[in-house]
Amino acid sequence: MDEDVTLAKWLNDEMDAAELSEFMSRPEYATYSKIKTVSAQLKAPDVNLDALYTAINNRKNKAQEPKVRKLNPWLPRIAAVLVLALGISFYLFTTAVITQTALAGKRDVFTLPDDSQVTLNAGSQAEYKEWNWSDNRKLELNGEAYFKVAKGKTFDVVTPLGTVTVVGTQFNVKVRNNRLDVTCFEGKVKVTTKNETLFLTPGKTVAFKEGKNLNLPNVTANRPGWLSYETYFANESLQNVIAEIERQYKVKITIDANVPDKLFTGTVPMNNMTTALNAIQPIYHLQSKKAGDKIILTSE
Amino acid sequence: MKNDPKPGICEELTFAAFFKSHAKLLRNYLFYKFGNEEQANDVSQEAFIKLWENCASVPPEKAKSFLYTVANNTTLNQIAHQKVVLEYSKNSTTPITDKQSPEFLMEEEQFKLKLQKAIDKLTEGQRSAFLLHRIDGKKYVEIAEILEISVKAVEKRIHGALLQLRKDIDTFR
Repeated sequence: MDEDVTLAKWLNDEMDAAELSEFMSRPEYATYSKIKTVSAQLKAPDVNLDALYTAINNRKNKAQEPKVRKLNPWLPRIAAVLVLALGISFYLFTTAVITQTALAGKRDVFTLPDDSQVTLNAGSQAEYKEWNWSDNRKLELNGEAYFKVAKGKTFDVVTPLGTVTVVGTQFNVKVRNNRLDVTCFEGKVKVTTKNETLFLTPGKTVAFKEGKNLNLPNVTANRPGWLSYETYFANESLQNVIAEIERQYKVKITIDANVPDKLFTGTVPMNNMTTALNAIQPIYHLQSKKAGDKIILTSE
Repeated sequence: MKNDPKPGICEELTFAAFFKSHAKLLRNYLFYKFGNEEQANDVSQEAFIKLWENCASVPPEKAKSFLYTVANNTTLNQIAHQKVVLEYSKNSTTPITDKQSPEFLMEEEQFKLKLQKAIDKLTEGQRSAFLLHRIDGKKYVEIAEILEISVKAVEKRIHGALLQLRKDIDTFR
């Protein structure tokens, strides 16, 4: 690629003598020569360098000022408050605990979000979280409750003495005074305590008194007696029976006698105080006396 | 890092000195290119401002090249090409011939006009290269730097410019 640039060489006085004389012999040379001479007399318009520099300086200094765009300070504040409110609401919503209570002399029936049914006996309390219930069916029980659990994921009843786990059944859980009783009426029930884990099938019942398995015989009923005010006790101490009567009748009973350690097994009606006391008095040779709103049991 | 770093373009004095050395030539070049003084001034300004904004990342020895790169790349919104009007300097009395007869002077004036017209008709590239050589007395190497092309490319443009100028002038006798 050897393009002809001889004219450029000539203009720059780069031609050697031979080239130059050849060039000068051309007819166009005269014009070229004139171009060379006259073009050197041209000039560019004057430049006001000071004005140009001032203009540049002004823009330069303006550019140095940090351009601070003021944003509305309220926007991030409002957003933060909203986020906080949202976060708190969500937290409260998901961690909200529902507490169901049955006071003395009363019972409480309620349904859980999955339509499982719980009947709380007097003097009992249940706590559970509604949020995400079907995936997390966990209920804390203090006292006694009868459960009719809808089919679904595992259902846990957590008591201070152990946990009862079921998958859609009917069962009874009673935890009072260091004794845990679990009875299965339908389906299958898993009971986990500190020392043991066992499974109950319908009719089977288990009681742990101070950690010891009482090895109770099977029950024949298809639902717990207390639901129809015919409370059934198995190998129960007098104190616990009395305590239950107290809860059911909302009354204070004091035992002012030396009572044998005989354990009570039987049914005590809970809709008639006299009948209730009559069920236990003979066995322990006791008589009852009313003193104000209290009942005192003394030996016969 | 050396103990005393070379003063960069960010320093006010260095920048001012740099401006003094390069502003006129840059402005002239842009004038040859656009044919418009205002445009030439505007683009010159832009180039120096850009240099200032980037002063921290442009070492002093690269500043000139940076300046011309910006100038060559600054596209202007408006502008149809304007006629490049160049004037002759006051001391352009170098006689083409010794004769001072009216015809010769007339011829001289006519020639000057023809040359001006012909220069205006050159391509931007040819004109810039040619005038940088003729008016500003720049060597081809320097012109190559300014136009950001090779020396060979500069020579081609000069050659082309001369060819065209002669053709134009001789055609319109």
